[in-house]
Amino acid sequence: MKYKDYYAILGVDKSATPDDIKKAYRKLARKYHPDVSKEKDAEENFKAMAEAYETLKDPEKRAAYDQLGRHAPGQDFRPPPDWEQHFARGQTSFDDIDLADLFAGLGGGAFRRRADPNAPIPGADYEAAVRLTLEQAFHGTEVQLDLSVPEYDQNGVAHRVPHVVTVRIPRGVTDGQKLRVPGKGGHGIRGGRAGDLYLDIAVSPHKLFRADGRDLFVDLPLAPWEAVLGGSIELPTPAGPVKLKVPAGTRAGQQLRLAGRGLARPDGSAGNLFAIVQIVVPTVADDAQRALYRKLSEGTTFNPRAHFESEATHES
Amino acid sequence: MNPDIAEAVTLDERGTLTIEELVEQSNLPEDAVRALVDYGALSPIDAGAPTWTFTASWVVVARTASRLRRDFELDAYSLSVVLRFAQRVEALESELRALRARTG
Repeated sequence: MKYKDYYAILGVDKSATPDDIKKAYRKLARKYHPDVSKEKDAEENFKAMAEAYETLKDPEKRAAYDQLGRHAPGQDFRPPPDWEQHFARGQTSFDDIDLADLFAGLGGGAFRRRADPNAPIPGADYEAAVRLTLEQAFHGTEVQLDLSVPEYDQNGVAHRVPHVVTVRIPRGVTDGQKLRVPGKGGHGIRGGRAGDLYLDIAVSPHKLFRADGRDLFVDLPLAPWEAVLGGSIELPTPAGPVKLKVPAGTRAGQQLRLAGRGLARPDGSAGNLFAIVQIVVPTVADDAQRALYRKLSEGTTFNPRAHFESEATHES
Repeated sequence: MNPDIAEAVTLDERGTLTIEELVEQSNLPEDAVRALVDYGALSPIDAGAPTWTFTASWVVVARTASRLRRDFELDAYSLSVVLRFAQRVEALESELRALRARTG
């Protein structure tokens, strides 16, 4: 079992009063709670401080924790002789025990404080983060999740066990979406229902496509002559390249919509793919090309800044 | 269909659940769910119906409420205020995401 310094995690002395501990926890929770914080590693930090608070706020658990002595954080240790007889009756092995599970289980763990000691106990819900590529989100995918979860023995004490679940992710999921996998949480006890597994979906940024909900956006660079003359170009989409007709006289910033080429919606329809036009000029031109541009400039009355003049006049 | 592969279900407007199912899936007690409905933080499909049903999208809100209630020891009114701010932040983030998607 690895030692965790709960006092150091909350930033309080070992002599801290319950009020000091509560204040320290509240201050840190305000900063790191994953539902209100955008701090890096907020979730990990919050888990550690919530675990520390859960033990130190309870006088019985705090006394049991103090009896473990002080060790270096992360150091393997065993409770002193007779510790389990005082604090964790029925506990015989500490090898696969996490300190958090040990203290959660003090006094009967999952079985305690039940009005009816034989009542079914539902399994715990689990949460897992799943990171997908945009292509996986577009097509749907299967992911294998290797979780380490507490499983309760007959004394109600939790032991860490591997929990492997393969989940089919439907196509069209979006960044930040939550999914539920029914019955894939912890086992129920005494006939209690199994818990659920909740997935927090994160979609990695893509080199070409940007997503807004189920709509996708891609920059479409065009040469000046393609924008003026129009034509058919090949455009990448998450489902593979498609031919796109560029109308003559296409302007920079214009959005060309490809209906139904975005991410799928649960109702069977799909978002759109928007190609945002950029006019790109060649950075290197040889003499012959410069001559052609010069000829073009001499043969046109087009003034891209004509509105400057009228608007400047209007302002004055 | 491979029985070893679990199906993930989306929590959106298409699915519905009873108040008992919302309680079960959110770990919020029923009185807290009812108080949050009173404060407008949760909305049943028909608040006038004898038994409330909710669209599945409320599971996400109710689970957030459950975590905030447990971790900050908030009462139902404070929870409803925090959830309102959280929704405003979410809406602003969504607008920001939309702008970034359009402008690159």
